[in-house]
Amino acid sequence: MSDLHKEFLKAKLRRLPLEPPMPPTNQLSELSILSEEMEEEAEDGGTNHGRPPPSPLTDDSSSASSASSTGTIKPLFARPPQPRKKPTFDPIPWQTHFSQELRLTSPDSPNATFHAYFTPPLASPTNPGPLFIFHHGAGSSGLSFALLATSIRRLLPSAGVLSPDCRGHGETVTSDDSDLSLSTLSADLLAMIHLTAQHCGWTKFPEIVLVGHSLGGAVVVDLAASGKLGAALLGYAVLDVVEGSAIDALQSMHTYLSSRPSGFASLSQGIEWHTRSRTLRNPTSARISVPALLTRQADAAEGDSRAWRWRTDLASTQPFWEGWFVGLSRKFLSAVGGKLLILAGTDRLDKELMIGQMQGKYQLLVLPEVGHFVHEDAPEKTAAALVEFYRRNVRSALVLPPKVGDMYRPAAGMHYTSI
Amino acid sequence: MSDLDRYIELLRSCKPIPEASVRELCHKARELLIEESNVQIVDAPVTICGDIHGQFHDLMELFRVGGDVPDTNYLFMGDFVDRGFYSLESFLLLLSLKVRYPDRITLIRGNHESRQITTVYGFYDECMRKYGSASVWRHCCEVFDYLALGALVIGAGPSVGSGEEECELEVVQTNGDITRYRRGHGGHLGGPPGTGASGFSGGSSQSAGAVLCVHGGLSPVIATVDSIRLLDRKQEVPHEGAMCDLLWSDPDDIDGWGLSPRGAGFLFGSDIVKHFNYANNLSLIARAHQLVMEGFKEMFDSSIVTVWSAPNYCYRCGNVAAILELNEENGAILRSSGERGGGVTGGIGGGGMTVRAGPGRRYRVYEAAPQDSRGMPAKKPVADYFLLQ
Repeated sequence: MSDLHKEFLKAKLRRLPLEPPMPPTNQLSELSILSEEMEEEAEDGGTNHGRPPPSPLTDDSSSASSASSTGTIKPLFARPPQPRKKPTFDPIPWQTHFSQELRLTSPDSPNATFHAYFTPPLASPTNPGPLFIFHHGAGSSGLSFALLATSIRRLLPSAGVLSPDCRGHGETVTSDDSDLSLSTLSADLLAMIHLTAQHCGWTKFPEIVLVGHSLGGAVVVDLAASGKLGAALLGYAVLDVVEGSAIDALQSMHTYLSSRPSGFASLSQGIEWHTRSRTLRNPTSARISVPALLTRQADAAEGDSRAWRWRTDLASTQPFWEGWFVGLSRKFLSAVGGKLLILAGTDRLDKELMIGQMQGKYQLLVLPEVGHFVHEDAPEKTAAALVEFYRRNVRSALVLPPKVGDMYRPAAGMHYTSI
Repeated sequence: MSDLDRYIELLRSCKPIPEASVRELCHKARELLIEESNVQIVDAPVTICGDIHGQFHDLMELFRVGGDVPDTNYLFMGDFVDRGFYSLESFLLLLSLKVRYPDRITLIRGNHESRQITTVYGFYDECMRKYGSASVWRHCCEVFDYLALGALVIGAGPSVGSGEEECELEVVQTNGDITRYRRGHGGHLGGPPGTGASGFSGGSSQSAGAVLCVHGGLSPVIATVDSIRLLDRKQEVPHEGAMCDLLWSDPDDIDGWGLSPRGAGFLFGSDIVKHFNYANNLSLIARAHQLVMEGFKEMFDSSIVTVWSAPNYCYRCGNVAAILELNEENGAILRSSGERGGGVTGGIGGGGMTVRAGPGRRYRVYEAAPQDSRGMPAKKPVADYFLLQ
């Protein structure tokens, strides 16, 4: 339900008589509110392993009404007019959306521990699942993809998801957290994929779809263009980053960075800020992803209004900014594999991508009414697009429909090529 | 002066017409289009145009280069709207010309003539901006559902020009330079024209086969032009199936069919085109849908051509545009004058089952209308955020 729609309904409700039309509904609605609160408690305590994860269908519904799929029937229509419940900004743990977390150490760099959230793909010999590998943007974390991961797995239960924290972000620790150059990030991602394969004992990679958001888009495109994943790479998807507009936007980065709070008194406050500022438009996603962006100051006193500071000092990454994006469009168009670009709000392609699009070189999807964090604001729609993208690009999948009419038959020599 | 002529005059000066007039125009257009077949038959001579994309001033440039309606017989292969700033005026002008001169202009559907696509790529927003409501957009979308899916040009002659200047292929550049290619005399342009000619044009007639015009290309479920006629076209463009493929597919240097990177339609190779043309007695497929920097591109021994008619696409791509003129059989093309020539000039190349003798083709290449002729609204690049926010 959109905000506008909600406002409209609220206004309508206000005009209704205060007395509920039918006596029994009062009880029912009380019950439903009660059950909702109980669910949320369970969620907050992280004691919800035994039940299905909460619905990520929250991109267009309120956090209060849809945080669960326990099957409680909620007679929304019967709810008497009353003030809306205060939205909650309590953190949601990662276990709700991933089956395990990995801490990977490479023999080459024993001081580095790469941290990633992971749900392995179905390891069936006949019908193995693909692995969606995510890379978040600057200042974000692997948990940014939590809702997306769940949505993908709901549509494609055999799929696995790997969502690392990149260098200098989340819980990944390296010997040089300040080196955020594109080549380092790209090499890190490749190393993490290899380490994950080792961890799982894979003799060969599953089919891989790379998905990168913002800076992460530049990283996955760089990795795809390197060809180092070989034939395992089916395709790559880039979320809301275009070389031309990203480079234009760099100038206003410092203004943006200085305009945001430097710290928060609590995690909840951080979550609330992200939601209220519309940085993240999906409160449920904010409750999962924001905690990883903040770290508590070791020396913070009780009641310190800035006890929680940003995990990543973005301003100090400035030397790398241009390097992240220069050449992105060219690499995106020239790398081998299926190509999907998902943009938020408006289509704002640069010249290279515009030509590429009108020559049919990749798939473009523009999602209306979402912010920059496309996958957090609209996890279901993004997941649907990614799963469809995967299905199209599976090599074995090009099965042609039967012909209308029979004027010529495909001769034995004709074979179907998929790109 | 009739209402229609008044609309045309208003639209020619790039002014939108009142909402009630749009409704009336769209209603008339639907009555006209409903009578058309999925594959309209069009007699040569005809001038074939590709994507326009709301670039109104470049559409005026097209008419300047190709001649005006009704003097010139036009066939537009879709994608009238989206991306440019004047989708509304461009589409309504073409539509009013269609209603005014139904036999002198043919409009077929492109993949952008769809509700879903126009809500994302600009036409919907433009209608909202210009009328403050979506009703005009809705009227236009209803017309989209009635547009033909393709056209078959018949009676195209084997040469353009006449006398000494007669040739199979002529390219008229922006600066007036003319390049001519005679049959069997080599040359290039995406495949020597000589190989496009073959012994197949047998019989006493020198007539080339028909030319199929479609926005995107072929479909693996469509083996014959007749099977296109069987489709129920009066609907929103579906996500898959024959109708979707005709509007979305692209030719590519592959064998057989391939997956389209666009996410809709297919890629098809030279073998597919040659089989299709042979089986359907076609000499050429003309299509649009893909930006070509040179304005047109012939592929697969001139068995298929892409025509692109939006110069400097989206005001930034730096490409030229082209239109394709087909001569009538044994006739001088359009405004050309002088003796009529006949027959090919010999030197027929190629062998085996290639394609039928292609029709004579004249490409007129043109550039974007000069900057001062267009009142371009300032478009600020939406360079908002990329990292956070």
